[in-house]
Amino acid sequence: MMPPWLASGFIYASALALTAGGITLLYITTRTFNFAHASMATWGFYVAYTGTALYGGSPYRYFPLVFLFGSLLGVICYFGLNRPLLRRQAAEITLMMSTLGYDLILLSGIQMYCDYLTYTHKLFARRVTMSVYDFQLGGTSAASIILPLIAIAFLTALHFFLVKTKFGVAMRATIENPVLAGASGINADAVYLASWVIGGGMASLGGAFMAMAMTGTPVIGMMSIPFMFAGAILGGLYSLYGGILGGFVVGLAEYGGVYYLATRVGPWVLGYRMAIPLLIMALTLLVFPRGLAGVAWRSVPRAVIGRLRGVGT
Amino acid sequence: MTTGNGAASRASEFFLRREVLITVALLLVLTWLLVSRGVSLLLTILIDFAIFTIVTLSLNLEVGFTGIPQFGRVIAVIAGAFAVGAIPGRLLAWFMGLPHGLSYAEDAVNYKVVPQLSEVLAGNAFLAVVFFLFSLVLAALCGAAIGWLASRPAIRLREAYLGISLLAFGDFFMWAGHNWEPLVGGTTAVFVPDPFRIVWGYRFQAVVITMLVVTLLIYLYVERLTRSPFGRALRMLRDSDVAAGVSGKNIVRVRTQSLMIGSALAAVAGGMYVIYTGTCTAIGFTRLTWTFWPWAYMMLGGIGSNAGVVLGVLLLTTMRSIITVYRFKLFGFLTVWGIDPLWLEYALMGLVIVVVVLFMPHGLIPAKVEPILPLGRVKKALERTAQG
Repeated sequence: MMPPWLASGFIYASALALTAGGITLLYITTRTFNFAHASMATWGFYVAYTGTALYGGSPYRYFPLVFLFGSLLGVICYFGLNRPLLRRQAAEITLMMSTLGYDLILLSGIQMYCDYLTYTHKLFARRVTMSVYDFQLGGTSAASIILPLIAIAFLTALHFFLVKTKFGVAMRATIENPVLAGASGINADAVYLASWVIGGGMASLGGAFMAMAMTGTPVIGMMSIPFMFAGAILGGLYSLYGGILGGFVVGLAEYGGVYYLATRVGPWVLGYRMAIPLLIMALTLLVFPRGLAGVAWRSVPRAVIGRLRGVGT
Repeated sequence: MTTGNGAASRASEFFLRREVLITVALLLVLTWLLVSRGVSLLLTILIDFAIFTIVTLSLNLEVGFTGIPQFGRVIAVIAGAFAVGAIPGRLLAWFMGLPHGLSYAEDAVNYKVVPQLSEVLAGNAFLAVVFFLFSLVLAALCGAAIGWLASRPAIRLREAYLGISLLAFGDFFMWAGHNWEPLVGGTTAVFVPDPFRIVWGYRFQAVVITMLVVTLLIYLYVERLTRSPFGRALRMLRDSDVAAGVSGKNIVRVRTQSLMIGSALAAVAGGMYVIYTGTCTAIGFTRLTWTFWPWAYMMLGGIGSNAGVVLGVLLLTTMRSIITVYRFKLFGFLTVWGIDPLWLEYALMGLVIVVVVLFMPHGLIPAKVEPILPLGRVKKALERTAQG
């Protein structure tokens, strides 16, 4: 038996882990801070919703489709926008802005699609409670058990892909040092494409997850993108695992913190819930301006020991 | 040398022609709208134009001239809007002996008090002018304060980190205003006393003219500022903060000043918008409208070019209005699937950003690249050193 806040918290945290991981992956490979993650996540939710509402079955059946759709959106973004700009060696801000334009186009598509669903299929597509399609498992909603498991399984697979396969190793090499990787014959284009496929899929999957914990609206991604960013920044933007962990911590801290404060201080705290992830982000940045991964953790013990022995300073 | 100059002058002529062509076409479209649709549509376009020109000019000052990734423009707009929504009305109510404490923003109190205040302003022209000017000054002060706050992380953080932090805090301020009722009414809008009631019947026209005058003044100020030594210091900082530091510029101070001035201007726009609509709704200050739209305007106009910003805002506000007004005529086929063509507005803004980024990265009126010292003076200095 999980308390309800923990159940929703696990779903939300898994969603943020996936989306923040996707943002981090795209940032370390293509230097692109992806604003379009917002609408990619929303599209993921609507793919899952369309499948469940029109063709029946549990939402989990449609998750592979959700992932593929997100990958498709990512591939379009790569070929249409990202590749020309990367070839031109565009500045980081330009790359960021280009994804903002793509995000607005996707948002326009989402709104039109909602109109279409409402009009043609008579669905209440603008306020969706996905959890009604869920079933019970051991006294709690199945999503709070299944979704974290899916997230863990996916991230484990991603880890093995990066560590064990030849292409994964090539990808990591490009992340570590693009010039050297290019010199040793690794095709950077393929690496960028792969990261958009994986990152876009993670965004959409995260959006579909998120709708299981909260009301699904056409702006669900737009509303939660600061938290995805907060997770990615908490993880430091330079480490994929850091981003995933950062997203998970931010999500769970938000639900746990709000639950704790609402019972102790009063229910009015609920309206200010977004302050918690922002505070975490602000405090992290205050101490480590480059996030947690910007700290040279490996050299911390040595530095401490050195300080104790009186070496250096 | 002569051929290079010839090419340069021809190039500048081309750009001059392009911007002139666009302006003429825009004026024709606006005239056509005036003839076919009447004055009120034109006035709506002009109001949008005035407000967003100020916001975009302030954004351009910070992004185009100083190189700060300002993704939290909405913070300063909110500061101005909330200040004008919360404070001047309370002060006036205090003078009048009406409820002015925390309960002022409760909707049951607010909808009775504010009409009385508007009546007072309608009866006293001097008081109305003082009220309006006080609101603008108050908005500017609150904006400058918020700008100073935003400059604290801006000194420490690098590009993406800073942009995202500002973006996240913009959302936070919106939600805080939405949830904390005593500030601007929370979920219900707080009404704002109307200093333009005195010209009742011509209120809309008076508002438009006042706003255009304020916009013009702000444009002249920004243009002067960016041509001054301070403006050169900003550009130097943008191009290389190391070089700026070496040549004796105080990087922290220049960046702080830029953020404070920019935020003050954006806050004035926010305050004016609240006075124009007569209400202040916290949830209306979204990052989409007040951060991303200005970014699109600025990128279309040309980052770092004040004239370009004005043209970009005028072009896009006109296009948005055309979509709003003629959406069923132009895109009526979409209604077959029940789709409201109004959503095309998002697609238009997105497409503008994408096209600008891909095909014309310098915008409609590219910012001129100017050396810190004119070439003639450099030559003279070289000759002098050669002689001496």
